[in-house]
Amino acid sequence: MRILIVEDEPDLLASLAQALREEGYAVDTAANGDDGLFNAEGTDYDAIVLDVMLPGLDGWEILKRLRKTKKTPVLMLTARDQTRDRVKGLDTGADDYVVKPFDLEEVFARLRAIIRRSANKTTNIIELGDVKIDTAARHVLLKDKPVELTAREYSLVEFMALHRGEVVTRTQLYEHLFDENESSLSNLLDVHVSNVRKKLGADFIATRRGHGYCIE
Amino acid sequence: MKILKSIKWRLQLWYGLILVVVLAGFGLTAYQLERNRQFRQVDEQLHYRLNLLAKELHHPPRGQDANRPPPGQPPRDQGFEGAPFDRPPQDRFPEDGPPQRDQHRPDFHLPDEDAHLFDASDPHSFYFIIRRDGGDEVARSINQPARAEVIYDHYFNQVNHYDLPQNRSLPPKVMNFEIYRDVVELMPSGETILVGCSIAPELKELRLTALKLTSVGGIILLLGLAGGGWLVSRAIKPIEAISATAVKISAGDLSQRINVAEAESELGQLAAVLNSTFARLETAFAQQKQFASDAAHELRTPVSVILTQTQTALQRERDAASYRQTVEACQRAAQRMRKLIESLLALARFDAGQEVLDRQPFDLARTIADSVELVQPLADERGVKLTVTAAPLEITADAGRLAQVVTNLLTNAIQYNQPEGEVRVTLAAEGGLAVLTIADTGQGIAAADLPRVFGRFYRADSSRTGAGNAGLGLAITKAIVEAHGGTIEVASGENVGTTFTVRLPANVES
Repeated sequence: MRILIVEDEPDLLASLAQALREEGYAVDTAANGDDGLFNAEGTDYDAIVLDVMLPGLDGWEILKRLRKTKKTPVLMLTARDQTRDRVKGLDTGADDYVVKPFDLEEVFARLRAIIRRSANKTTNIIELGDVKIDTAARHVLLKDKPVELTAREYSLVEFMALHRGEVVTRTQLYEHLFDENESSLSNLLDVHVSNVRKKLGADFIATRRGHGYCIE
Repeated sequence: MKILKSIKWRLQLWYGLILVVVLAGFGLTAYQLERNRQFRQVDEQLHYRLNLLAKELHHPPRGQDANRPPPGQPPRDQGFEGAPFDRPPQDRFPEDGPPQRDQHRPDFHLPDEDAHLFDASDPHSFYFIIRRDGGDEVARSINQPARAEVIYDHYFNQVNHYDLPQNRSLPPKVMNFEIYRDVVELMPSGETILVGCSIAPELKELRLTALKLTSVGGIILLLGLAGGGWLVSRAIKPIEAISATAVKISAGDLSQRINVAEAESELGQLAAVLNSTFARLETAFAQQKQFASDAAHELRTPVSVILTQTQTALQRERDAASYRQTVEACQRAAQRMRKLIESLLALARFDAGQEVLDRQPFDLARTIADSVELVQPLADERGVKLTVTAAPLEITADAGRLAQVVTNLLTNAIQYNQPEGEVRVTLAAEGGLAVLTIADTGQGIAAADLPRVFGRFYRADSSRTGAGNAGLGLAITKAIVEAHGGTIEVASGENVGTTFTVRLPANVES
């Protein structure tokens, strides 16, 4: 899962990015409106955390322009808690909003929710045969027994599961599992896929040669 | 007693009282006039009969007086004209003058053609009695003889005989006794003639007149009160509307306005004045609300920083360096909040006029030099050149606060300048004022934004570049300058730069 944070307060941006990375997300950051819009339009993020008050383009403007090309779920961070601000945000195309000051837990939960909704899932539990994925608790059960996965491995499983039945290309996987600062060594992805197969069964992820991977 | 305190009812009461007085005065006058008219008619009849009797008493009884009206035509039917009693009493006598006392005719006899004048069939039932000096009766009417005697005695009891004039005569005198009206004349010849009649029909008519006047007056009073009530209600209505609106406003709905239908009237003008007051109140409240909301908004971001930083740090065990980073970020956020709170408090004190200024004479040029030294590192960092043209100029003011003004303006001029730009500071005395200008070569402020520059929480670019810049700096600067009795102005051209001009009272002769 790859997320973009657009926030101009450096201390807030840094801690949000760190917290989300520790949650297992790949995180890109932008400190002003123009960079934010550039990133948001150029990459398929799983979600965008967008502050309203920004130097350059403000949050509303970014949202308006982004909605012309992309349906990326957007969580607005707003310091204004008046109803009209919230209504404006939701009407402009935001999927949800959090009022500052917020608790990290709430931001995590709302992010999970908008990502889940964008994949047309209604619950946090995804069942794939013997494998059960709890996206809220971020853990995987095989035949009702917990399976130890690294954060990156879990993200791989979750992303594949949310796109069940689709062929997911290696590029897509790179885009969603790694942020812009990580070197995309081609075999890093293969290592993760191989580890997941070891833990959840060899045929859990099928390889479509020349296309990518797929969960049936 | 509440009803007496209501303007509406008090107006009604006064209005009613005045109406009653006017109607009563009018009614009484009308009644009096009618009464006089009725009695005059009766008097006419009485005098006519008195004259007739007097003539009969002193002249041959039959048809020798050509002045007498023909029988059967009492003068009552002739109205007022030619009323016999208008004539002086002498006219009743023939040209040879009044008869002598001893020439009276003892055998008085009322002629038959005049008998009908004292007929009982007349509703007035006229009567008469004639007596001689000593009380011997000469004649008496057949009609009401007893009544005539009673009244005669009553009259004579009233006459003080010692007061009688030399010839012992008295002119005709009219008097009322119960429901009778009489005229009495003491003739020079010694006889006393009393002619009277019942005035019951007149009294009855007068009662009827009084009743009519009372009822008409009553109806007019009721109509007047109703009309007055309607007028008063109409006049009071705008006041009620004003009061109803004021109640709604005091209940918290500041958007209410009085509906001004009649802008011309005094109440319309009052309503307009109140409306403009309400509008200013609403604006002031809205500004206050906006200020509180902006202040809360400004505090949200640093609090968010502290919460996210600490919550992230506490997610797991970390090394000393990352804890240190967290604490530093929290410190920055706390500093920012402190600065914001100080600014808000300063503004609140200036607003309330509670800020105590430590006024001392000092050299403003010296303060400028100190401030320039303070911001020099920031200018160097941005590559902005500072030039100062300031001759020593003494003013009496709070040196610390004015240093804040200069530093604020300098910091703005550097921050909103372009790289390699210039900030020019000048100080000059001008007509008793110290004039300080700080001009930058930045991108300037859009004309539409100029009026908002000194507003609270105004930011040139709606960003938070530079922690602690909450957009209160210029508002505080303005408050300080104005607390010193000075003025601050801003002029700006896009891509030319912005110039702030501060004028303060200086210790120089103008």
